[in-house]
Amino acid sequence: MKPANQMRGRVLCGGIGVLMAMIVGGATLSFAQESVSVRATLMTGGVPIDDPTAAAWSSAPPATFPMSPQVHWQNRIQEATVKDVIVRALHDGKQVAVLVEYSDPTQDPDDAAALEFMVGDKKAHFAHGQPMLQVEGGPVNIWFWKNKAGKAVDMSAKGFGTLKPQEHQDVKAKGVYSNGTWKVVFARDLSNGHVEDDVQITPGQFISIAFAVWDGRKDGAGDLVEKGSQKAVSSWWYFRADAPPDYSGYMYAAIAAALALGFQFVLIRKLKKGQ
Amino acid sequence: MGALGKPIILMVAMYVFLKFVLPNIPGSAPLPSSLIFLYLLLTASGIVIFETLSGESKDAFWGPIQRFLTGENIRGLQALRYGVLILFPILVGWQTYGSTAVSDLPPTESRTIHPAPPGEYTGLSNPVPKTPENIMQGKGFYAAYCSPCHGGNFDGKGPAARGFIPAPANFADPTTIAMLQESYLFWRIKKGGVGLPIEGAPWKSAMPRWEVELPDEWIWKIIMGEYDGAHQSPRTWE
Repeated sequence: MKPANQMRGRVLCGGIGVLMAMIVGGATLSFAQESVSVRATLMTGGVPIDDPTAAAWSSAPPATFPMSPQVHWQNRIQEATVKDVIVRALHDGKQVAVLVEYSDPTQDPDDAAALEFMVGDKKAHFAHGQPMLQVEGGPVNIWFWKNKAGKAVDMSAKGFGTLKPQEHQDVKAKGVYSNGTWKVVFARDLSNGHVEDDVQITPGQFISIAFAVWDGRKDGAGDLVEKGSQKAVSSWWYFRADAPPDYSGYMYAAIAAALALGFQFVLIRKLKKGQ
Repeated sequence: MGALGKPIILMVAMYVFLKFVLPNIPGSAPLPSSLIFLYLLLTASGIVIFETLSGESKDAFWGPIQRFLTGENIRGLQALRYGVLILFPILVGWQTYGSTAVSDLPPTESRTIHPAPPGEYTGLSNPVPKTPENIMQGKGFYAAYCSPCHGGNFDGKGPAARGFIPAPANFADPTTIAMLQESYLFWRIKKGGVGLPIEGAPWKSAMPRWEVELPDEWIWKIIMGEYDGAHQSPRTWE
């Protein structure tokens, strides 16, 4: 009789343990997602702000984003060369560098790429922050690079036709073409004093980013096929610079575990006294 | 021990049902773990209430638990008791860590897919007669202006669609134009993405504001062409 009882008890208690583990494990499960954000990995030492081929880039996780021809506004384009961009980012708490990589069969002087950010808290439309009918939008900050210029232009826009270079140029860019692939690195300080015009990147916070690429090839008549609004674009995606490591979670866990232990102790004492 | 056996079997069965059986029932979907937790909590409360209805059943239910916790006369289960006493604080700590850890997921944005149109765009009827010629013309305009994104097959899979989030609407899907009135489409085509109210997240939509490029009559014809091409009918007031 007794061994049978013991056996049953073991099974039951084992069941409780398994069940608890399943509940707890299930509650903390997180699901893998497709890339929806660029993660700027925190690194020590110099961020490769002017080296698209630096070894340090291998430590940054790549995120791939699909591109579309710009059809939202005139002048449109029905097909663009670049179909995807692969984006990596690194920061050291002071400077941030974003590496944009994409296939382009030919290297042309007019090849160009750009990053776009929302500025401040207001939601801006991804097409140059153009005005929305029912939402008061904000400005966008555009970091533009063109092969033949060999440098970045730091620009602002709040709607079509308002795009212009800023008085303060804070962005650096460098492109390297090799084997049918452009690698372009954009770099800037994470934050600066120009809060009205420039995106301010606070580690740990998600901000919005979009991409544009122009293939600078020419058609039979010698005219540029992709220029101005005729380009490959993306919608808004997220960008986040890694926050410095935060160990407070371990502290809270330790406090909670200690409380649970104390609760057990008190409970068992009470039960023993009561019997 | 018998009084404790049934509740535990019931709890395990409930968990297995919610986690593994229910999602496989046609028309169902996996439950979020928080909901499963809530159901198990309700089940446990029900069991406790049931088991403590009478003094006898109460003793039969709590007795074994008390004995197990205090470790009196449980012999071989002593090791398991220590295991549970050690495991419980660890699980609490683990759960706390999981819930305080900073999420790697971007903020979730809830977007209303079909927000309410402004008053002036409700209940308009298509002023263009529904003739084969007009439908044909509408399909021609659709091919020229809409199909790059919404697709030649009206399925939202045009060659220019891939980079846009939200994806261009699939008109063949019965949850898009089939549940909307023609006047709603007129509003959406005319004002485009930027004409959406805040809950429609207008800053993400690539839908052009066609009112600046196309006359109203063309838009009404395009609407006709879309319904015909996608084999759908507009929703009516009846």
